Amino acid sequence: MRVIVNTFGTDIKLKQEIVLEPASPSLRDVLSALRERYRVPLERFLNDDLSPVRGVAILINGRNIRSLDRSATTIREGDELTFTVMVAGG
Amino acid sequence: MKGVRGKLLEVDLTQGTTQELPVPLEHYHRYLGGRGLGARLLYDMLPPGTDPLSPDNLLFFLTGPLTGSTAVGASKFVVVTKSPLTHTWCDAYSSGRISVQLKKVGYDGMVIRGRASNRCYLRIDEQGVDIRDASHLWGKDSFTTEKTLKEQEESPAFVSSIGPAGENLVKFACINSDLYRQAGRGGVGAVMGSKHLKAIVVIGGQGVPLHDRKQLLGLNKEAHRRASVSPVAQARMKYGTPLTLNITHTGGILPTKNFQFSTWEKALEKIDSVGVYRSVKKHVSCLSCFIHCSLITEAAEGKYKGVTVEGPEYETLGLFGSNLLIDSLPTIIQANVLCDILGLDTISTGNIIGFLMECSERGLIPPSKAFDLRFGDEEGALAVIEMIAYRRGFGDILAEGVRAAAQHIGGGSDRFAMQVKGLEFPAYDPRGAFGSGLSYAVSPRGACHRRAWPPAQEILGDYPPYTAEGKAEMVREQYDINCILHSLLVCDMPAKFIPLSMEDYANYLHAVTGESFSISDFAQIAGRIETLIRLFNAREGFGREEDTLPYRTLFEPLPDGPGKGQCVGEDNLNRMIDEYYACRGWDSAGVPTEATLRDYELSTEASRG
Repeated sequence: MRVIVNTFGTDIKLKQEIVLEPASPSLRDVLSALRERYRVPLERFLNDDLSPVRGVAILINGRNIRSLDRSATTIREGDELTFTVMVAGG
Repeated sequence: MKGVRGKLLEVDLTQGTTQELPVPLEHYHRYLGGRGLGARLLYDMLPPGTDPLSPDNLLFFLTGPLTGSTAVGASKFVVVTKSPLTHTWCDAYSSGRISVQLKKVGYDGMVIRGRASNRCYLRIDEQGVDIRDASHLWGKDSFTTEKTLKEQEESPAFVSSIGPAGENLVKFACINSDLYRQAGRGGVGAVMGSKHLKAIVVIGGQGVPLHDRKQLLGLNKEAHRRASVSPVAQARMKYGTPLTLNITHTGGILPTKNFQFSTWEKALEKIDSVGVYRSVKKHVSCLSCFIHCSLITEAAEGKYKGVTVEGPEYETLGLFGSNLLIDSLPTIIQANVLCDILGLDTISTGNIIGFLMECSERGLIPPSKAFDLRFGDEEGALAVIEMIAYRRGFGDILAEGVRAAAQHIGGGSDRFAMQVKGLEFPAYDPRGAFGSGLSYAVSPRGACHRRAWPPAQEILGDYPPYTAEGKAEMVREQYDINCILHSLLVCDMPAKFIPLSMEDYANYLHAVTGESFSISDFAQIAGRIETLIRLFNAREGFGREEDTLPYRTLFEPLPDGPGKGQCVGEDNLNRMIDEYYACRGWDSAGVPTEATLRDYELSTEASRG
């Protein structure tokens, strides 16, 4: 499965294309697979149990997983995952 | 009560007189300062139906009880007046050292009335107030004005001024301070220009008495500790507000091509946080703040290489970037500087140029009235900025604001004139976050991003974005928090990034003033202030009919992004407004009920009408 990963924090990385083989297409398994390969960049965003760190949001194609199926959200080929600190205001 | 001076400076430019205006202690208890005090004083002192550009309009510069105390983020001031753009209540916020200086010379703010017979500026120090001739400054840009006034003083002087746009009564002219800081929205610069007042200079003064300096230092120390471990604060200190563009693009609320679209891939790594960061020369913070979230950037290439600005902030990037399909950061920096020196609000200006581009592409503007301006036309956009500021040619129409321009152009252009009550949309498309639609619609100064920031909940938080469900209470809560912040007159940024809670601000308020406020006191004060501002607007003829959104937002489905196919729709808007009024204690017409007025002790105001 190919996913696109963005991280918005103290370091911003855009449009990282990653090919991975999750155990299932659920977000939980995709995160688990991502962490295997991307442990350092994602540890600012994910707790050990793969839940978002306080003050962090995870978006799938721009939609917050809190208004989707949270960790059970199904991830599809080419989906864009964004890990972001909860910046507010402009 | 420590921390406040208990009086304003009152200046009558028609008479050429100044005097002290005592502020009753009760006002600080019931309205705190800033936005709240402005609501109270504007309601009491401005005759209903006043022409905003007449000598009778009042122009307040107000501080808050924490101003001058070194509490984190407490170097803001607010300009309160009746807006020439919307004819509503108007509050425009700015950083600027003039806020602290006003406190130091002995005033919690000032109110300016009348119109000087000759162009003038005010010079204020501890010895008194002078109304001085400004004929040598009239016509100068705001940077030149500020530098000239500073150079003629022996002591450090702090200046707020208008540029040519304010002199020419452009309805969205701003007031500039410390070169790059603006009280931007609603045309406060035009009100200043209408009074023939070019600038205000404040010099010297003594520190403000504090109740408990030790407690204040302890609170600042704790805020600093929290900021040092806050990922949000750390990210903001590195990237500033441009980081918001990455969020709004991803979440599908980035204004693109005059709000036709909600995402723009070409913005990435050019005019977003990544692109702007490459051009950052320095990070700076406001007086009394350790969150250095402001960026000094320099155009790195091309025709504008070397041009420097403090910014551009997210709003400028959104409205001069994606909204105009301009992906050149140097061009946006140049646009930012032009707006600053000419004294124009970048939000309204970018919005109006986007509208003009769409009108032009739709063939609604005869070639004789304006050149053929297309989306992505960088030089054309820059030229329009100057046309507006000097009211040259078609710029004279645009200088009246997007609503008036649409009325002039006709052809159904009002459907994509992105404004509420005449105030141009800031850089968030409500079709991708319906709560923003409610927040824009009910905002008393028109489409405003300062009353609430619903994307924090709808894109990043727990609220589904494409529904009316729960939005009224969420928006009311954000309004009330911001009302307190803007009445204390502290910056939103430390509050939201460190973060600091209402309890923290109650502690700050105690340390500075010696007065104790509870969270429920704050809730009561915020409700009172928002209701009083509602009464002000009602007295000026505004009601539910004006609490609405443009056609595009209501009825044109988004063609792209996560919200593809979404528009707010009349039913959703009406439901959100009904629920918002209800949780405010206003009736279905948006009129505060008698019980609400009693609760807030505002019954007398309502009966006075």
